[in-house]
Amino acid sequence: MNAEVVTFLADSLALWQVDGTVTAGALPVVAVIRAGDCTVWVEQSADDAVPWRWFVRWRDAGMHEERSRPAASLSGMLNAARRALNVERGNALRVVAAAAEGS
Amino acid sequence: MFPVSVITGFLGSGKTTLLARLLRDPAMARTAVIINEFGAVGLDHELVETSDESFIQLSNGCLCCNVRSDLVLTLGDLAARRAAGTVPPFERVVIETTGLADPAPILHALMTDRSLCDVYALDGVITTVDAVTGMKTLDRQAEAVRQAAVADRLILTKTDVPEAQTAALRARLAAINPGAPMLKVVGGAVAPAALFDCGFYDAAGKHPNVAGWLAHEAHGHVQHHHKDDITSFCIVRDQPLHAVTLPLLLSALAENCGADLLRMKGLVNVIEEPDRPAVIHGVQHVYHAPVWLARWPSDDRRTRLVFIGRNIRESWASSLIELIDAEVADEIARRREVATI
Repeated sequence: MNAEVVTFLADSLALWQVDGTVTAGALPVVAVIRAGDCTVWVEQSADDAVPWRWFVRWRDAGMHEERSRPAASLSGMLNAARRALNVERGNALRVVAAAAEGS
Repeated sequence: MFPVSVITGFLGSGKTTLLARLLRDPAMARTAVIINEFGAVGLDHELVETSDESFIQLSNGCLCCNVRSDLVLTLGDLAARRAAGTVPPFERVVIETTGLADPAPILHALMTDRSLCDVYALDGVITTVDAVTGMKTLDRQAEAVRQAAVADRLILTKTDVPEAQTAALRARLAAINPGAPMLKVVGGAVAPAALFDCGFYDAAGKHPNVAGWLAHEAHGHVQHHHKDDITSFCIVRDQPLHAVTLPLLLSALAENCGADLLRMKGLVNVIEEPDRPAVIHGVQHVYHAPVWLARWPSDDRRTRLVFIGRNIRESWASSLIELIDAEVADEIARRREVATI
């Protein structure tokens, strides 16, 4: 699964139009994202960290100290990674009434 | 519910010619027409013959930007006038956009306004493409690419002109939108049946033509890349998904793809409801609530999701589904374990 996460994050960078690299890390770090001056470490949380499944840490040249954010889901991990990389994109999901009921 | 079809296409691509010819067909007799034109003096409506009562011209700007609310008001007013008997009892609405319109906001208006959703259902998007200038237009105009990408039907016009680049254009459009049937139409001559009732919503109340609606499926598991940056692919999954995966997936798509996800539609096999599929359909970040069919339309019970977007990799979308569903499965197992302790 960890290799899949690395590839997935590399695809995510392409989707977000971020020029960077993603490499595998040493557990608990699953992936390390490097983009410009910013480095992001994506960790899988330990079993006793419930409800957190992911832990995202990041640091860039302008920061005095590292920042971090836990995430309870893959979506949360992606949100944290986008925040770390200053990626502003996307919208909140909007679900509207369906046009037809099939049943 | 009245089906609404959107006719779009770049400037000069033959939208009005197509509409004018269609409206001469007796099958289109009960059609209300809304034409959106730029400028204080619109000309397109002069070229379209229809009853005045069922014809509305919106000329204050482009539907996709500043008069989107006008469209909502106009459609609402049209329905009210029909109910009051002050307009002929139309059974269909056709909207012709300006040549520069991005169809997505128009689709959003049709999908999201509650007052409209009770009365109207989006049937489909018909996009005209000029076979003479279409290649250059696609090179230069991002709106033209978007118009082609979201189409349910692609209409190649002016194919009878010697300079037409029909073969090259067909190949390019097939790369942008492989699932949309392409029709060569000269002088707007085409049977209405070839253009309408192409959406998931079925006005006649028959069993919805899901296979036709999910036409991309026929193109298999192939991702299409080309210079327009549009990617189109169909993800087919043998294993059913957890119900909870669906909202998480849609949310992740909206948050990560934004406007780059032009359209997404599909049939989903849900573990908790194995005998009936959920139909999902979205434009950018706006999705219809899943519709549950009464039964599977065929023996094929695989989940099939069609994506049309910009710079979206099939591997990314596929992994997103797998990772979210695995996470959901893990969470369900964990909670069961906790419950048994």
